[in-house]
Amino acid sequence: MNQSAPLDANPLELIACHECDTLHRIPELAPGRSAHCSCCGALLLHNPKGGLDRPIALNIAALLLLVLANAFPFMTLQISGREQTTTIIGASQALYEAGMAPLAVVVIITTLIGPALVVISSLYVLLGVRFRLPLPMLRSMLSWISHLQPWGMLDVFMLGVLVSFVKLAGMADMVMGPALYAFAALIVISAAAMSALEPHLLWQRLGLPGGQPHAR
Amino acid sequence: MRARDLGLASCHTCSLLVRMPASGHVHCPRCGSPVHLRKPNSIGTTWALLIAAMIMYLPANLLPVMATTYLGNTQADTIMSGVIYLLHHDWPLAVIVFVASVLVPLLKILALLYLLISVQRRSPLRKAQRTRLYRVTELVGRWSMVDVFVVALMAALVQVGALATIEPGGGALAFATVVILTMLAAMSFDARLIWDEYGEHYGTAQQAR
Repeated sequence: MNQSAPLDANPLELIACHECDTLHRIPELAPGRSAHCSCCGALLLHNPKGGLDRPIALNIAALLLLVLANAFPFMTLQISGREQTTTIIGASQALYEAGMAPLAVVVIITTLIGPALVVISSLYVLLGVRFRLPLPMLRSMLSWISHLQPWGMLDVFMLGVLVSFVKLAGMADMVMGPALYAFAALIVISAAAMSALEPHLLWQRLGLPGGQPHAR
Repeated sequence: MRARDLGLASCHTCSLLVRMPASGHVHCPRCGSPVHLRKPNSIGTTWALLIAAMIMYLPANLLPVMATTYLGNTQADTIMSGVIYLLHHDWPLAVIVFVASVLVPLLKILALLYLLISVQRRSPLRKAQRTRLYRVTELVGRWSMVDVFVVALMAALVQVGALATIEPGGGALAFATVVILTMLAAMSFDARLIWDEYGEHYGTAQQAR
């Protein structure tokens, strides 16, 4: 941080910590490096390795896994010769059928709609920036990603799967469905996709609308 | 040197530094989101969401989250009785579920109470630790949703006619509400208030008028 440096030189080099408001002048980060706040330790900026191509590849993989994880049975329960199978959507559907529509909405948003929107909007923005396509709504999509991320709870859902496995094992035979393997891979891939995408860098590349210089 | 001292505000969506006009109302030139020096009415909103979460915490723990009917016998389970059942079958998992569904919501509510009260009293103490506490609070909150997913999965799987059925209970809805309310409360809290010096709150209020 340099107090005497002129503010208008290049405002993009200047970042205020979101958690303590300390101003930092950040040099261009080498790939794989990140900058933390000198005052409170919060992450200021991260420059993931692999540029834009890596998050594009990871998000395409995540999209495919998302389709697979939803297209096949997730778990099968066998009890005295009878079988009951469920999918990810089935979990939310069961709540809806039991008269708990609000809870069904929460579950479907956190397990399907939220993660799907994050992956799709990430891909849309990444492809738009990577290939300099004048896509509509690019900026609003990018704004949405960080607001949507906390509501995608694939990892938490996976813990829920483990717990219900143990709970039901005493009552019935549990069989893992193919979707469960896709889902396990999806958690790893989508976590990698999220950490490979740094919205701040995408905003820097987008710049101000109409390609104006970064002056206020 | 802090951004507010220079009349600069960081856009919460895209982190662009924007010079605040006297009116206090400006949209980010880069992403179009409204920019504020601090999240507007952060303390009031956080209090409201937190009090709502504390009220919902009672039904979330007292009402059954699901009812299991097995060979004609119906048994209602609360969050805590679910943890105790797991303790007999797989204790490491029981510890994880206990932390995620019982400890995390409680500690999260207490942490936000402490942050709110210390900011309102303008406490000059342990600012860095309080900021770290806020960061952890924001990160771990979502894991409490695990029991809601367990109920959803079990209700979807255990539908084998007269043999065994599992019905979700009102506690699950209350519990999901607590998780969402505390997540929203953490999001509406502005950690930068921890660092604002005495008098700065008034400065902003006057500027905004």
